[in-house]
Amino acid sequence: MTLELMSYHVIGKKTIRKDGVAKVTGREKYASDIYLPNMLYARVLKSPYPHARVKSIDTSEAEKIGAVVITFKDVPDILFCPRLVSTPEATYKDWRVLTDKPSYVGEPIAAVAAETEEIAQKAIELIKVEYEVFEPSFDPLESMKDGKPKIHEKIILNDKEVIIENNIACKLELQEGDLEEAFKNSDVIIEREFKTNRGYHNQLEPKTAIVNPEPDGGLTIWCTTQSIHNTRLLISEIFKIPISKINVKKVALGGGFGSSIQTNIVVPIAVALALKARRPVRLAYTKEEDMHEHSSYQMIFKFKIGAKKDGRLTGGYMINIMDIGAHQIQAYPLLGTCAGWWVSLYKLQAMKYSGIAVYTNKVPSCAYRGYGNPQVTWAVETIMDELAEILGIDPIEIRLINYIGEGDLFWGQGPTVKSVIKSCGVEEILKKGALLIGWKDRPRPRDQKGRFRRGIGMARGYHTSSAGAPISSQVIDYSGAILKVNEDGTIDYITAMVDHGGGTLEAHAKIIAEEIGVPLKNVNIVSADTQTTVYDVCTHASRGIYAGGGAALNAARQVKKKILELASRILDAYPHSLKIRPDEERGQGIVYVEGSSRKEITIGELATLARIKNWGTIAAVESYRPPACPPHFTGYFVEVLVDTETGMVKPLKVVIGADVGTLINPDLAEGQLHGGFMMGWSRAILENLNYSKDLGDMECKGFIIDYKMPTVMDIPDEIKTFFVETYEPTGPFGAKGLGEGAQNPAIAAIANAIYNAIGIRFYELPITPEKILEKLKQSKEIEKLDLEKEVVKSEVA
Amino acid sequence: MKIRFNLNGRVVEVDAPPSTILLDLLREELRITSVKRGCEIGECGACTVLLDGKPVNSCLILAPMIDGKTIITVEGLAKDGELHPLQEAFIEEFALQCGYCTPGILLTAKALLDINPRPTIHEIKEALVGNICRCGAYQQIINAIIKASQKLRRT
Repeated sequence: MTLELMSYHVIGKKTIRKDGVAKVTGREKYASDIYLPNMLYARVLKSPYPHARVKSIDTSEAEKIGAVVITFKDVPDILFCPRLVSTPEATYKDWRVLTDKPSYVGEPIAAVAAETEEIAQKAIELIKVEYEVFEPSFDPLESMKDGKPKIHEKIILNDKEVIIENNIACKLELQEGDLEEAFKNSDVIIEREFKTNRGYHNQLEPKTAIVNPEPDGGLTIWCTTQSIHNTRLLISEIFKIPISKINVKKVALGGGFGSSIQTNIVVPIAVALALKARRPVRLAYTKEEDMHEHSSYQMIFKFKIGAKKDGRLTGGYMINIMDIGAHQIQAYPLLGTCAGWWVSLYKLQAMKYSGIAVYTNKVPSCAYRGYGNPQVTWAVETIMDELAEILGIDPIEIRLINYIGEGDLFWGQGPTVKSVIKSCGVEEILKKGALLIGWKDRPRPRDQKGRFRRGIGMARGYHTSSAGAPISSQVIDYSGAILKVNEDGTIDYITAMVDHGGGTLEAHAKIIAEEIGVPLKNVNIVSADTQTTVYDVCTHASRGIYAGGGAALNAARQVKKKILELASRILDAYPHSLKIRPDEERGQGIVYVEGSSRKEITIGELATLARIKNWGTIAAVESYRPPACPPHFTGYFVEVLVDTETGMVKPLKVVIGADVGTLINPDLAEGQLHGGFMMGWSRAILENLNYSKDLGDMECKGFIIDYKMPTVMDIPDEIKTFFVETYEPTGPFGAKGLGEGAQNPAIAAIANAIYNAIGIRFYELPITPEKILEKLKQSKEIEKLDLEKEVVKSEVA
Repeated sequence: MKIRFNLNGRVVEVDAPPSTILLDLLREELRITSVKRGCEIGECGACTVLLDGKPVNSCLILAPMIDGKTIITVEGLAKDGELHPLQEAFIEEFALQCGYCTPGILLTAKALLDINPRPTIHEIKEALVGNICRCGAYQQIINAIIKASQKLRRT
């Protein structure tokens, strides 16, 4: 493998990103940068109540000032699910474009379009609404109780009605092996309960849609999305417009992190307005509105896990109660992935899983970088640390005893997406990481005195690369690529896949350049839309490089074959005896006969000749289903400093190792690890959307100023990253994904480091200074009490 | 009201209501879309512009306040098609991912290097504290600013 790596001309090499100049000059176009002639500006009337019914709505005053107004009465009477990644039998539908029964503060009821945003806002304020207000639920455990007001009565699954009882959105039960027997055979059983925080993605670009009605009755749409094809399918489903008449344009995305896997609600609202106004409509949410558009799932986990004295795990039971907010985006598939993230970390002889997704009157929850994996990993890696301490085994050792690796079955995306692991660098990551952080010399918990206490913690994790599998499953996963060779020797790459900024398409360009044998600069990543591309499901599940790159590679193979075939006619040699080499100076791929220096032709000359000779354009189209869901593995080693007077935690040193198979974009991959740590830090220490019963809304009310997020001041003093060398046989040039594994173990490692520093475990996120101070106070009181008891004892003696 | 100001080296005169916010004036009226709309309450820094050389959140400035002043947006960084050393360094050091925060951060960095050609890491951090990069490329951004400062000192 090493020899092969050395012979790559762009794979694994530091190269300058193609979108760099556009991004540093401000020329990159995001959805929010699209302005059309004759365009109307839209605003949305949103529910001020978390749970209510509209008794009456009067829009006449708004219409009088010239606004185009739509209410829940004017949109298709259809329930839909904004996320189309799962198959119909796993897609619960409970959304409306506009509703008369709002179930969270911020749910859209009516919308207007007007000549300016100011007039639109005025029109919104002129709409008169009378509400009947119901009791809201903000706690899933309360919401599930008998007699609580129903958030939904009937929803749709696979064209059939589902009656909702006790506000339970959906459930998933799984069981494998004899759990009773496994617990009986355990030397130690540990039971713990965890509660995660509710996070807000804060992708910097608020959700935006621009819709242009076309003369043929179709629509052109620019919007914040991670999937242009699913956007078009959903708009067709809701508005009964033929799929082929809807064209969704791909634009840059100002951060995704999962918040645009589903079609954002601004899109169907803008479509409804544009259809009524027969004019282009622009709907750009503000940050406050954006915070009322999506958030992460909040989860309560109950774990019971058994182990033998030698550290081997026996069996486990996991209960997962998910607070999903007011609507389902992917609650059911997420119940499955949470089970998968758990059972794919460590080997268990037997397992049982009970997952329940519960409606509450909060902003709907959606995937947030890791799709439940960071939360599950935090819980499991906390328990592994505890088990190690109980059993007197080194925390790294207990992980090496139990981890799931090469040859084991891996659940890439819940119980229906599984494949056998064929590449795994876990051991190397843990050993090298331990050396780099100074694991052997880490402090012992509760040994330190004084104000500032240092702690080192570690955790390991992974994420899937795509939701591919050998057989079809409940998750749709395939990608497409189109390549065409231009007469100047460059190659246009046309893909529906959205690049969030991590460099996914950059990697594809490298794969294409490497496979065909052209300089990287000869691969053009060109503009794309749903009309000009073949289907790609979505940029999620860390599938960009693995699945999208697989499509690009297969298209490149086809193009290469055609190049060689045409060149063989010119060079008078058999196609299989021809080779292509990149010539950076000439800026061409050169087709040549091996061993004969005079027999060669550039790809540009070949494409030009092919035109003159009427041979046609060299082009290829590929629709590619990845055959597996290989995990990329990561290991985190974090050193923190805890200030016991303020409760503040500071990251001192962070070591992150990763196995991504073949490394395609080294600098961009390193960037993912840095970004992964920052987001993990944020989720471990800072972020939370608390709900206030009095407000019926988030305590911050959507004001980002009161939502804590890391700034440049929060970066660690030192951050070291490394990649171990593996080769994924099913991946393009041996590559796997990274985007989510880059973050997944971060929270757990930080929490374990805090424990190492102060000897206290936290089972609720985020671990804020207030919580740390409270626990320190409690532990001091216990210490004092113990001391007093000692004194009393000795006095009695 | 009429507002006259210097935008990236050329004099611009616009007629806008006095309540117009600078961010809207630049984006909606003048279509300078490099000035990004983020939080609109001065928290994220995506809309940063240079007002007489100082970085400000354009979402917090009323248009009349710039009458007679100079505004630089990221379009004003490159000279004669040549990228500014900061722009070059941001590309070379991979100091951007989604790129939405990039124009604002470049301008904050320019203002810093204009008054402090040899900033310490701490001074760079202090300057950048008002610019959120949610992709978390802070370390690369610091590296790029250091690299650009070295380049600028050599020229």
